[in-house]
Amino acid sequence: MDNPVVYSVTEFQAICNQIIENAFTGAIIEGEVANFKLNQGKYVFFDLKDAESSVGCFMMAFSLRFPLEDGMKVRIRALPKLTKWGKFSLTVQAVVPVGEGSIKKSLELLKKKLSEEGLFKPERKRPLPSEISEIGVISSTQAAGYADFCKILNERWGGLKVQVAHTQVQGEVAADQIIRALQYFNERSEVQVIALIRGGGSADDLAVFNDEKLVRAVAASKIPVITGIGHEIDESLCDLAADVVASTPSNAAQMLSRDKNEIIDASWGNIQRINNLLNTRIDEKHREIRDLKLEAKRQIDVKITTFQRDIEGILRVLEQFDPEKVLQRGYAIISGKLDVGSVVDITTNKKMIKAEIKEIKDRN
Amino acid sequence: MTASSDNKKISKKIDELKAGVDWFYSDEFQLDEAADRYKKLNSLAQEIEKDLNELKNEITVIDKDFSK
Repeated sequence: MDNPVVYSVTEFQAICNQIIENAFTGAIIEGEVANFKLNQGKYVFFDLKDAESSVGCFMMAFSLRFPLEDGMKVRIRALPKLTKWGKFSLTVQAVVPVGEGSIKKSLELLKKKLSEEGLFKPERKRPLPSEISEIGVISSTQAAGYADFCKILNERWGGLKVQVAHTQVQGEVAADQIIRALQYFNERSEVQVIALIRGGGSADDLAVFNDEKLVRAVAASKIPVITGIGHEIDESLCDLAADVVASTPSNAAQMLSRDKNEIIDASWGNIQRINNLLNTRIDEKHREIRDLKLEAKRQIDVKITTFQRDIEGILRVLEQFDPEKVLQRGYAIISGKLDVGSVVDITTNKKMIKAEIKEIKDRN
Repeated sequence: MTASSDNKKISKKIDELKAGVDWFYSDEFQLDEAADRYKKLNSLAQEIEKDLNELKNEITVIDKDFSK
């Protein structure tokens, strides 16, 4: 022990911390939560344990993105540290529940909490704008879900202006990236609707969409948010907080766009219908004209018949005055001077007679 | 011409087509005018189909790193 290096307690502790820090730039540890405690709403303390060991953990409450409870299995990212009281502890940077039971439990706790705050109330939901021309998309541009969204959107409609915020959609950093993208769109107010898109995945993959801060950011967005996350059976807290929920990214594209083929078909359907209508109206006019012609002919026939009957009547009257007809009935026509002794001509039906007048006297 | 104005132009044509079709079912229908109107609507339907098929979406990835 010649010239031994002598440290003060503080120095020794600092050296130990340096060695630990160098050894573990960020240890990932899994274990079960015990003795969970929240102090002054700001500081979180709990022990992380397994069957044989236990280690104290500390973290700031704002870093806690999921509700924790004793007994939950979690995975933490932490820096080991020797405190000034000589106690070994982990300063936790991030914590996520692991295992189906813990994820489910955490989700239930958060859902209850946010629901009680009114974040999922139906009256908070806004409808999508009726005429959409500008869309903001938050997704990973490498994700299959994003490709599906673009494919369906391009197949259905054109002329849309789509701004895409490329973010991670799974993993520890995804939630903060998505929150920044939501802030980006809300600060600019250029888009009418924000689509939060991600294809299917495991419960762990989709866990980011149950991140408390992200769910709050979705609920707080001034611009309506539509989610298209996972498959039809998946429901995240972001879905509950969003204004409109699509079952998949493709379904979100369908809900945000009109189908041009439907419009084209409807346009031609209308043209066909009025073509049929026009033909019907023309047929009706033809029938109307034909009926009018028939009626005109009938009227003319009636007039002709009437005239014919009138003429026949006149002819019959005229016949009565025909002298020949009178003679045929036995009468005679006497012509000449009507004086006694004069000779007159008598015309009968068959004869011409000359006769002398013997006497003339009045009939009365 | 922006994507938005193209969309408005098409929407206007679609509305025009609908109004034109409604005329055929209205009391204002006149057979004398119908043939001309029908021809115009037929052309309009062709235009709508062409416009819709030519219209493309503008998809832009924002030049910003959201990890920071």
